[in-house]
Amino acid sequence: MSAVGRVQQWATFGRMWYLFDAKWQNPFHSADKIKDILTGTHKPIYHDLNDCGDHVVVINSSEIALPGVEWEKRVYFHHTGYAKGASWTLAWQLHHKDPTMILRKTVYSKLSKNLLRRGRMEKLHIFPDDKIPDSILENVSAQLRQMRPIPKRLDHYTREEVEKFPKVFDWPKDYIIK
Amino acid sequence: MLSALNQTRHIHVSSPVSLKEIVVKEEDNIITVEGKYIKSPREALLVKPEHGECNSCSLCALNLNLKHTDVLVLSQFVRSDGCMLPKRVTGLCARQQKRVKWLVAMAQKSGLMPNLAPSWSKRDPKARYRSKKYNRYFDESTLPV
Repeated sequence: MSAVGRVQQWATFGRMWYLFDAKWQNPFHSADKIKDILTGTHKPIYHDLNDCGDHVVVINSSEIALPGVEWEKRVYFHHTGYAKGASWTLAWQLHHKDPTMILRKTVYSKLSKNLLRRGRMEKLHIFPDDKIPDSILENVSAQLRQMRPIPKRLDHYTREEVEKFPKVFDWPKDYIIK
Repeated sequence: MLSALNQTRHIHVSSPVSLKEIVVKEEDNIITVEGKYIKSPREALLVKPEHGECNSCSLCALNLNLKHTDVLVLSQFVRSDGCMLPKRVTGLCARQQKRVKWLVAMAQKSGLMPNLAPSWSKRDPKARYRSKKYNRYFDESTLPV
């Protein structure tokens, strides 16, 4: 085998580590993307019996954004198995207890339900903030594109930017600005 | 109502309202004191619609696809305490006024305009109560107008 062919072979079967910044991202849409990489379906060599999934490192999972009123309306169900053991936890309560849990549970539910599921979950590394141990960060070689733009707050613009921005209407002549 | 711009009063007891300025003229032993309207600071920055003058309201004329994340536009319709300006001030049509009202509410719930809030506000979205402190976004296509 030629030198180029050998490198191609390594690159094909090498494991990639992707970084994903979950800041202001919808966890349910992001999970669709992360699931594909954990299973390896984005690769041409994918096969059901082929273990070719890549690692995903998710940062800032505490700053995920949910649409509309989903923080209050989405409910996570758990049953202990005993009588009266049912419990319902709202999304914001779950996020308050563990800021990585919503993303982890979403990816887990989107993975195919077979014996490979737990092994694929082991390739997912979620961190609530942007502090990653060096042992993980040194493997990262690529980044996943964010699905939503991060909105900029009004108080993060400079005073000049706000004042110089084109105006849509002018106040009436006798209007006292508050 | 009259602001003392003849450079005599530098300390204001109440907040200054720069609506008019006092112009003192002296001609042939006749002193004329006049209250003149001051030019609006927005006048030079106003956007002209593409097709010239028309009867529609300013937002209809611009034909913008406004999102709740466009805080630089939405903050123009809001007072410093976060209240929406009335229709007689904004000059919008009923449809656009309603739409802007909802977009402003969305931006405020997302915590994108924390500096335009009542004086007792903590002004930090992360310090809000329970579920309100977490990031959320909205879909404008769900608006009825």
